[in-house]
Amino acid sequence: MKGGRRIVVTGIGAVTPVGTGKTELWEALLAGRSGFSAVESFDTRGHTVHQGAEVRGFRPADHVRHLDPARLGRASQFAIAAAWLALADAGIDPADAVAVDPERAGVAMGTTSGEPREIERLDDCLLAAKPEDVGAWFADLYPCHVLASHVAAEVGFEGPNTVIPTACAAGNYAIAHALDLLSAGRAELMLAGGADAFSRITYTGFARLGAIAPETCQPFDRNRKGMIPGEGAGMVVLEPLDRARRRGARIYAEVAGYGLSCDAHHMTAAHPEGSGAARAMERALAESGRNASEVSYISAHGTGTPTNDRLESLAVKRVFGEGARKVPISSIKSMLGHTMGAASAIEAAVCALAVYEDKIPPTMNLEEPDPECDLDCVPNVARELSVRVAMNNAYAFGGNNASLILEKHER
Amino acid sequence: MSGDRRVVLTGAGVVSPLGDTGAALHAALLAGRSALSPVTLFPTDGLPAFLVGELAGFDAQASLGEGNLRPLDRISRMVVVAAERALTASGFSRPLRAGREVGLVLGTMLSGVRTIAEFDRRGLTRGPSYVSPLDFANTVINAAAGQTAIWHDLRGVNSTIAGSAASGLQAIASAVDLIRSGRADALLAGGADELCYETLLGFARTGRLCGAGVRPLPFDPRRSGFALAEGAALVMLEEAESAAARGAVVLAEVRGHGTAFDRSRGADPARAARAVTRALVAALDDAGLQPEAIDALSAAANGSVLGDAAEAAGIAAVFPGRPGRPPKDLPISAVKGLLGEALGAGGALQVIDLLETMRESVAVRHALIDAMGFDGQHAAVVLARPDGSGR
Repeated sequence: MKGGRRIVVTGIGAVTPVGTGKTELWEALLAGRSGFSAVESFDTRGHTVHQGAEVRGFRPADHVRHLDPARLGRASQFAIAAAWLALADAGIDPADAVAVDPERAGVAMGTTSGEPREIERLDDCLLAAKPEDVGAWFADLYPCHVLASHVAAEVGFEGPNTVIPTACAAGNYAIAHALDLLSAGRAELMLAGGADAFSRITYTGFARLGAIAPETCQPFDRNRKGMIPGEGAGMVVLEPLDRARRRGARIYAEVAGYGLSCDAHHMTAAHPEGSGAARAMERALAESGRNASEVSYISAHGTGTPTNDRLESLAVKRVFGEGARKVPISSIKSMLGHTMGAASAIEAAVCALAVYEDKIPPTMNLEEPDPECDLDCVPNVARELSVRVAMNNAYAFGGNNASLILEKHER
Repeated sequence: MSGDRRVVLTGAGVVSPLGDTGAALHAALLAGRSALSPVTLFPTDGLPAFLVGELAGFDAQASLGEGNLRPLDRISRMVVVAAERALTASGFSRPLRAGREVGLVLGTMLSGVRTIAEFDRRGLTRGPSYVSPLDFANTVINAAAGQTAIWHDLRGVNSTIAGSAASGLQAIASAVDLIRSGRADALLAGGADELCYETLLGFARTGRLCGAGVRPLPFDPRRSGFALAEGAALVMLEEAESAAARGAVVLAEVRGHGTAFDRSRGADPARAARAVTRALVAALDDAGLQPEAIDALSAAANGSVLGDAAEAAGIAAVFPGRPGRPPKDLPISAVKGLLGEALGAGGALQVIDLLETMRESVAVRHALIDAMGFDGQHAAVVLARPDGSGR
C-alpha cells in the first residue's frame, strides 16, 4: 500500500501556550501544566466566555532571521519559529550545501484560518469606512499559503511547498502530505506541521456554537463543558530512514502510515456513529500493517466538547473492540487548549516524543469519568510505559478525519 | 513508489465565465471571446473600473434541481455544481458511489474569504451572539470541499490544498500521488475561487491588476497586470485499471507532475525563471518524457509584468530551440488573456481546455500545463492522449 521508503521524524519544534521548543513543551505536558487564562488578544466583553490559550511573551525577532518580522502575520511568525527549532533539533543547518539540497527540501503546513488577524484588520478598516487603509498587506499577508511560503523563504527550501487548510485536522494532513512527497521521491527532506494565530473570528464562532468552556478544558470528564481555543505552531522534520541513518540523526519515530476519510455527513457535527473517524483509524492501521491490539497509545482529538469526546470514544471502541479499554488515550488539549491547525501537528510531535521517551502525557482536569468515555484516559498524571505504536487522531469541520501512526524506531 | 498504478482522467466539470462545459469554454477561447467586463456582482466603491471575469448568472439551484442550498455559501455552490458535472460526465453515478468511495482534493487560494469577512463584521457590528452557526461552518477554508462531500456523498479522502494561483494544479498533483500510492482509486481534483469585494480590493492594492478598463496582455511587451476572474473546475481522476473495469471513457492520462518553490517569491527574475524550469522538468521526468514529446503548452501567464517574463524564460530553458526562445513549433497559449486569473481554479481550467484541444487534434499527444502562484509556488502537469504512446 504505502511506498517502499520508510520515513522518520528527526526534529521537533513547537510554539505553544505552555512553552516554546520541544523541551519546554514536553516538560509542561508531563507536569500537567495548562496554558489557560483570560483572552488578551481582543475584547471578549460581548461574549459569555473569556478563557483562551494564548502564546504569551513570544518575540518574533528572537526567531525570524532573514525575513522582516513586521511583514509577517502572527501564524507565520509562529511557523518560522517552530521551523528553526525543529531544524536545530534535527541538527540540520539549511545553509549547509553539503547536507541539504534546497531544491529537494520542502514545506507542508496545515492551518484552520491562515492569518486570521490580517482579515480582521481588513474588516476593521472597512467598518471604520476607511478602505483606503487597506494596503498591499492584505493580499500579501492574509492568504493561508503564506504559512508555507514564509517558512520556505526564511529557511531557503525550494522544493514542494503547500498549505493544507483542513481546519482542526490540518497538522495531520500536512504530515500525511509530506509522507506522500517523500515516499514518491519528490523530496528528500520536509518540514511538516501546522500553525494558527488566536482569532476573534474563530473564538466568536465556537462561542456561538456553545463549544467553549467557561473555565477549563476537561476532555472525557462527565462535566466537560467544551474546548479552550488556543494558538501556536508545531513542526516536525521528516526524512527517509536511510538519509537519517547516513547523517547519524536522532530518530524519534517512524511515520508508519496514515488514514484519511470524510464523514460526508455534517459540516460541524461528527457522524453520530463515529464511522468516518473509525474509517480513518482503520486505514491508518492497515497502511502501517498493524493490528489495533499493537497500539500502545492514542493521542485523542479530545477537544473537551460533550459531543466530540463521546463520539471519539465510540469510534475508538468500534476500531479497538474488546481491547479498547486497555489502550491509554489522552488529550493534551486539556493543557494546550485547541490550537486549531497547529493542534494535530503538535500532537504528532508529542506522539513521536512518547514513542522515543516511553512516556505519555496525561488528560488533565479529568475528575469524574464519563461513563460514555469508558476508556483508559490517563487521568491527571503522566505515565511511563513502553510506547511502541502511537496513533494520533484529528477531526475537523467538513467531516475531515485524519489518523496517523508513529512507531518506535528500533535502534 | 508503486509505479504501476496509472492515473486517467474520465470526466470534467466546469463553472466558468466562458461556459459551463469544457467544450463551451474551449470554443469561446478559440473564438477569442473575452470573459472580462465591469463588475456587476458587488459594489466596487472607490475602486477603479477593473475588468473581471465573473459568473454573472450563476444559479446553482437551476443546475442541481432539488436540494437545500441554504447552508452553502457561493464558493461551495460553485464547487458542488462543478462536482455534479464532473461526476455526471465520468458516469460516476450516485448508486456507483454508494459502493465505491470517491474523494475530493480541492485547490483554492482564498476559498470563502467573503463569508469569513462578513461573519467577522457581523460579530463586530451586531454582537457575537448574532452571528450564524451556518455561516461559521463556512468560514473554515476547507468548507467548500466539506460541503461538496456532504452534497455528493464523497466519503473518500477529502482534502483542500492552498498554493496561491498554483492551488488547482497542486490539488491535481496531490490526487495523482494518492491514487498512485494506492490510497485512493477515484478522486475529484481541481480548484475554485470566487470574486468578491475583499479579493478585488486586496489585489487592487498590490498594484498588480491591469488598470481600469484595460485588458490583460499575456507575454505582450505592453502588458501591465492581470484581471481577476472566478470559477470552479474539477476533473475525475481514477486508477486506470479500475476505470477500465467499470467501462469508463478515458479522456487523457495524467502522466506526471512537478513542483518547485522560488525562494525569492518573484523578486529575483533568475530564481523565478529557474523555478518555472524546475517544475516543468520535474513533471517531464515524472512522465518519463523528453521535452520534444510535448505538442502543446498552456501557460500560467496572466499579463503580470514580472511573472510572464519569468515564465517565458523558464519555458525557453526547457525546450530546445533558438537560444533564449522556445521552438516555433511548440504552441504556447495563455488563456488568462481572455479568461482572467481565476486563482485556484486557473490551472484546472487550463487542464480542461487542453482536454478539448486533445479531443480535437490527434497531433497533440502530450500537453504540458504550467501554473504559478503569487508567492513563489510553481506547478506543472503532463497530460497524454489515452491512445498515445504507451509506456
